[in-house]
Amino acid sequence: MKWKLTIGCLYPELLNLYGDRGNVRCLEKRLLWRGMEAETVSFYAGECLDLSGVDILLLGGGSDREQAIAGRYLLENRKAIVRYVEENGVLLAVCGGYQLLGNDYRTEKGTLEGLRLLDIHTEWRPKRLTGNVILKSPLASSPVVGFENHGGRTFIKGARPFGRVIKGFGNTGDSGYEGVLYKNVIGTYLHGPLLSKNPELGDRLIGQALKQKYGAGVRLPPLSDEAEYRANRYMAVR
Amino acid sequence: MRRLRFYLAIMLGKLAGSMSRLFGRGKGAVLPGTVAGFLMPDLLSLLSGMVEKDVFVVTGTNGKTTVNRMICECLEREGEQVVCNRTGANLPAGVLSAFVEAAGFTGRLTADYACLEVDELAAEEILGQMKPDVVILTNIFRDQLDRSGEVDRTLERLEGALRLVKNAKVIYNGDDCLLRRIAIRCENPQAAYGIEETFCGEAFQSGNREGSFCWFCGSRLEYRRIQYGQLGDYRCPGCGFGRPEPRYTASDIRRLENWYSFALNGRPVLARTCSPYEVYNTLAAYSALRESQAPMGHFREGVAGFDYGNRREPVFLIGDSRVQLHLAKNPVGFQQKLALLAQDPEPKDLVFQINDEVPDGRDVSWLWDVEFERLLGTEVKTVVVTGSRRYDMEVRLKYENIPCLVSEELLKPIRELLRTGTGNLYVIVNYSGLYRTGRLLSKLRRTEKGEWRN
Repeated sequence: MKWKLTIGCLYPELLNLYGDRGNVRCLEKRLLWRGMEAETVSFYAGECLDLSGVDILLLGGGSDREQAIAGRYLLENRKAIVRYVEENGVLLAVCGGYQLLGNDYRTEKGTLEGLRLLDIHTEWRPKRLTGNVILKSPLASSPVVGFENHGGRTFIKGARPFGRVIKGFGNTGDSGYEGVLYKNVIGTYLHGPLLSKNPELGDRLIGQALKQKYGAGVRLPPLSDEAEYRANRYMAVR
Repeated sequence: MRRLRFYLAIMLGKLAGSMSRLFGRGKGAVLPGTVAGFLMPDLLSLLSGMVEKDVFVVTGTNGKTTVNRMICECLEREGEQVVCNRTGANLPAGVLSAFVEAAGFTGRLTADYACLEVDELAAEEILGQMKPDVVILTNIFRDQLDRSGEVDRTLERLEGALRLVKNAKVIYNGDDCLLRRIAIRCENPQAAYGIEETFCGEAFQSGNREGSFCWFCGSRLEYRRIQYGQLGDYRCPGCGFGRPEPRYTASDIRRLENWYSFALNGRPVLARTCSPYEVYNTLAAYSALRESQAPMGHFREGVAGFDYGNRREPVFLIGDSRVQLHLAKNPVGFQQKLALLAQDPEPKDLVFQINDEVPDGRDVSWLWDVEFERLLGTEVKTVVVTGSRRYDMEVRLKYENIPCLVSEELLKPIRELLRTGTGNLYVIVNYSGLYRTGRLLSKLRRTEKGEWRN
């Protein structure tokens, strides 16, 4: 049997500010290089969201304005997304997408309602948190590296963070933590794109998705990730 | 006292420029302004006020330097005296430097016109002190997001800048929905320019577009025509927002070998370039000159003789090899360069230098917005990646199945490719590497007995 995963890309016209399609590319290629099949389905604003065939869902980042538009469309499909996540669907949400997972995003201009998947919320501050980030994450043995650029501060309360901040700002600039984890969901501010220099994370998403679809016992053959780790190490040690 | 200060500022500014050139520390494009501005903070306002006729300001993401130089050179061809920051130093100190250098030691400035390119994010600061007669907006693409935060912030900053100069005429690219938004929201007298036909090959387009959704009502914009990036003929089905009727147009656009021929409001011109975006740049310069009612008796010759490469993107002949240096500093610009390369049917080698110094932006995520997969099948033989973020570039290419060599330094692989390569080398660099690489190639040409050509 040939294994196949379908990658769902949410509102790429609105949530694509920061090389977000790179995460899609990383997942596609890491499947293809292992002789598996990959299909990418883009969901456009206004469409009814049918996630039944989706194995990995990606939610990228946009500008505050585009994020607000995306948020409206997402809310119309809240039920489908909640069900997907609660049934252990794999979801990677970056930056604006991460903020949308929570209860709301309070900006200077008003409050943007979130998906309420998690009991977290985001508040806007005038000083943007911008720069390279290094994390220690329970999901990866190597340091997780990326780039953050956000005006929002995300308060995750009791939720599990994605990683501890070694360098950079993270969720709020002073909490010492970055991102959030819930079931098979990763929410994070990290661009880079995240999966390009942290191949373990891409494989983790793929592994979870294969397990969801085909049950336990699917092993991922290793790939040569020398280039990825060269790029990772360069950011981690300099 | 104020007078003394004025003379002193200009004198010391000019002196600083001469010293900087004398000791070879840069081209002295910024230092005069830094020194003079420190001594007299409102000097820019004083000097720009001495310009007799119009002051032009060019801003936007891509094309600033080209449009600004073209306006300047066309005016000079008419015998006008022009102040211009032609090297592209477009932050406040660079703009002031142009004026300080143009002024005499007595502080007198005799100039008919001034042409200044201004960084989009510094426009507010600069226009706060200088009152331009004409402001040209070229386009807005994602660029240096670590500086601006997001594209919408850039738009807000530009709107803020225009609010400071409400009488200035705004000439903008009407094919850019983001600039159309700015034009609608500002009170300035304004005119749009635009292109009335599809003229770029499919290779120049890319999947990523800014502002796909209407700024006013949030509906998805509909495009009747798309050129590249988000430029094209757009309309909002929700509220009627859309491309304005352009006052200035380019039409009958034809690519001939190394030339583009097209008509500006019906008048034919020839431009020595292979890049379609230069049609937009030429149209922008034309619109600005027309709108300012400047003399244009020699405009056609001006365009035909214009060096679009500005010596910073030259073609070198080194030994038997043809070496082209190209600047690519944001996704849309990069995609344009790749399309240019794809048009070249000859076998070729490729060197990418990707740095992350401050002028480049500290982040390189945007490399994933560039469709490198379009390189597949374009007769590229060897690819070398270098620069501080060479490993990121290596990974980027790996994920399009494009093999490459990684090199810590630039000279060695270029030498190697000159010896053993296809004889057709493209060197694509982002901003911080541009001048250094240009100097390196010039030096190679001298040592390898090539000739310089452009």
